[in-house]
Amino acid sequence: MTSKAEFLARIRTEMAKTPGLFTASPAERPAQPGRRLEVLRRELSERWPQTLERFRLEFERVAGVFHRVATAAEVPAALERICSERAAQRLVAWPAEELGVTIAPALGAAGIAVESMPRGVVPEHERIRLREVIASADLGVTGADLAVAETATLVLVSAAGRPRSTSLLPPCHVAVFDREALVESLEQVGLALEAWHEGTPPPERGAVINFITGPSRTADIELTLTRGVHGPKEIHAIFVDGGLSRHG
Amino acid sequence: MTEPIVSTPLRERATRALGDRLLHEALDIATTRFIALRRDAFADFPEGEQLRDRARAIKEATLQRLDAHLETLVANVERLGGHVHFAATAEEAREVILDIARRTGARMAVKSKSMATEEIHLNDALQAIGVTPVETDLGEYIIQLAHERPSHIIAPAIHKTKGQVAELFSRELKRPGLPADPEVLTKIAREELREKFLTADLGITGANFAVADTGTVVLVTNEGNGRMVTSLPRVHVAVMGVEKVIPSMTDLAVFLAILAKSATGQKLSVYTTLVQGPRRPGELEGPDEFHLVLLDNGRIAQIAGTLRESLYCLRCGACLNVCPVYRQIGGHAYGYTYPGPIGILLTAMLNGPRSVKDLAHASSLCGACADACPVRIDIPRMLIELRREVDERKIAPWSERVVFKAFARLLRSPALYRLSARIGRALQRPFVRDGRIRTLPLVFGQWTRTRDLPPVAARTFQERWRDL
Repeated sequence: MTSKAEFLARIRTEMAKTPGLFTASPAERPAQPGRRLEVLRRELSERWPQTLERFRLEFERVAGVFHRVATAAEVPAALERICSERAAQRLVAWPAEELGVTIAPALGAAGIAVESMPRGVVPEHERIRLREVIASADLGVTGADLAVAETATLVLVSAAGRPRSTSLLPPCHVAVFDREALVESLEQVGLALEAWHEGTPPPERGAVINFITGPSRTADIELTLTRGVHGPKEIHAIFVDGGLSRHG
Repeated sequence: MTEPIVSTPLRERATRALGDRLLHEALDIATTRFIALRRDAFADFPEGEQLRDRARAIKEATLQRLDAHLETLVANVERLGGHVHFAATAEEAREVILDIARRTGARMAVKSKSMATEEIHLNDALQAIGVTPVETDLGEYIIQLAHERPSHIIAPAIHKTKGQVAELFSRELKRPGLPADPEVLTKIAREELREKFLTADLGITGANFAVADTGTVVLVTNEGNGRMVTSLPRVHVAVMGVEKVIPSMTDLAVFLAILAKSATGQKLSVYTTLVQGPRRPGELEGPDEFHLVLLDNGRIAQIAGTLRESLYCLRCGACLNVCPVYRQIGGHAYGYTYPGPIGILLTAMLNGPRSVKDLAHASSLCGACADACPVRIDIPRMLIELRREVDERKIAPWSERVVFKAFARLLRSPALYRLSARIGRALQRPFVRDGRIRTLPLVFGQWTRTRDLPPVAARTFQERWRDL
């Protein structure tokens, strides 16, 4: 088997044989991305209605269903409507602290079983049980760390309490977000990614960041667009005008 | 070295493809659609042209410091708790993965679409040690059930009709009487594969990019299988060519902005998954082990080779769709893992120039591929260089080499050129029909087997010029 040293040495030998290359540079990285992101957020906060409108347009273009509610208190009712339209009875969700809104009591009263994902370390048998619960749920409810207007993309960072499969295994995914999550472009996502990786990451951060742009799709059979091949067949976004609460 | 998949000559493979009416129709519909989708995506995106230049510059800059970027990548993947392996050849890459499979007692491996694992012929090797490989991209799943190979980089089963898929599923999945309805067939695949995702021990993927400074492996899929494969099994192995490394997240944003537009005309593929090592404490899912296999397999030799620029390739498939040769013969006729114009270059990279002695000529050099390429790889230039190499290394047939040498000599001497025009005019007489030469005798017949030759004019341009 080739060792790291041998492998890199071979690369260096070949590199040494390449004189006279044109000068090229990677994309210029922002200095102090965290600070730049803060500045950007302040700028964006002044024009969020346009950003939201663009997001809605693009989201519907990729077959997403857009909802808008005035306050966080109206989120459970919006979820209940989505559930009743699909006769959905089992729902898995990020816990209230991660979601920024409490949904379980109101939905429970409406006869919808809500399983909130645990935030701490869980034993192996509980992990296996929860996977089954998520796999058989009708609806998965998550937040979104970013909502990108240019592409209608929801960016979700995994963590304890934010399992990856909540937005993957159920046939319908609903993401709840507010204006704090809105950014305009992929370029701005690049800045956010730089900022999130500046210095030591918070210990609770998970190992995966997912960009989600519309429902799961394929065109592998005669180029016929078909939704819900492995991931959700449906995706909804609920925008909360009055904002979600942030416990962090 | 990777062994060739087929042993019949290109001419036969191409002839067979040209005679396949269904294949022809499918190719025509698919490539025409992809071309339109790509064109519309970039028409809506004025900054696209500048971003393509930017992306190209990033690829070149990364190659110029490839050792440093790979070292950074390795250090960061290891910091995050992942393991990195170095494979000089396809065989070494297979061995690494088989070792992991044996050690972890894997019985089933779910795979997300990956050209790198196709290239190293991983599935057969897994099968041989008793691990069942399951392709989970719908197109790949179809061709795996049919025991075939992908015909397009991003749409592996475009050569199959829905009727054929229905028949295949009915037979192979023991669900008789399935209708030729993509909706129904997709649902069946969802059920079959969902079960596999939840029970497989091993998840195997390629990588669209690897971001060095954060140790991130990036996977782009539309179906969500990439997410399944990296979240549900207890071990995840990602296989990537060394050229997939990019320096930073800022660079990643540039590539994401052009990749899907070039491939399927989407603004962004449905899922972009950034994987940073194994499951972290408190996470409900994600693998216990994460392995990254860095693959050379002929790539490193091209850092200073004639095919250097093909190391920029993003595997988007845009050059296939616009290629007049690909559009006629499809992916299988190329005979190797990577089809289309870029595929010829990658085949030469993996298997040496001898493997493309015929394929190097399977291009009209029209330049459509270079125009379509998101990172503007000059494919025609490298194809010409490959042809020269095939000639210089005496890989081309002797008759061809003699003829071209003689021709080159003629072109260098005005007197010889004029003389040969006169001789040619005399010699061609028995072969000219309706102003074309359709067949030539002896070894020259090779040339006219698939093309006509225009005869030498009654009066050449040079002769007329003198009289003006």
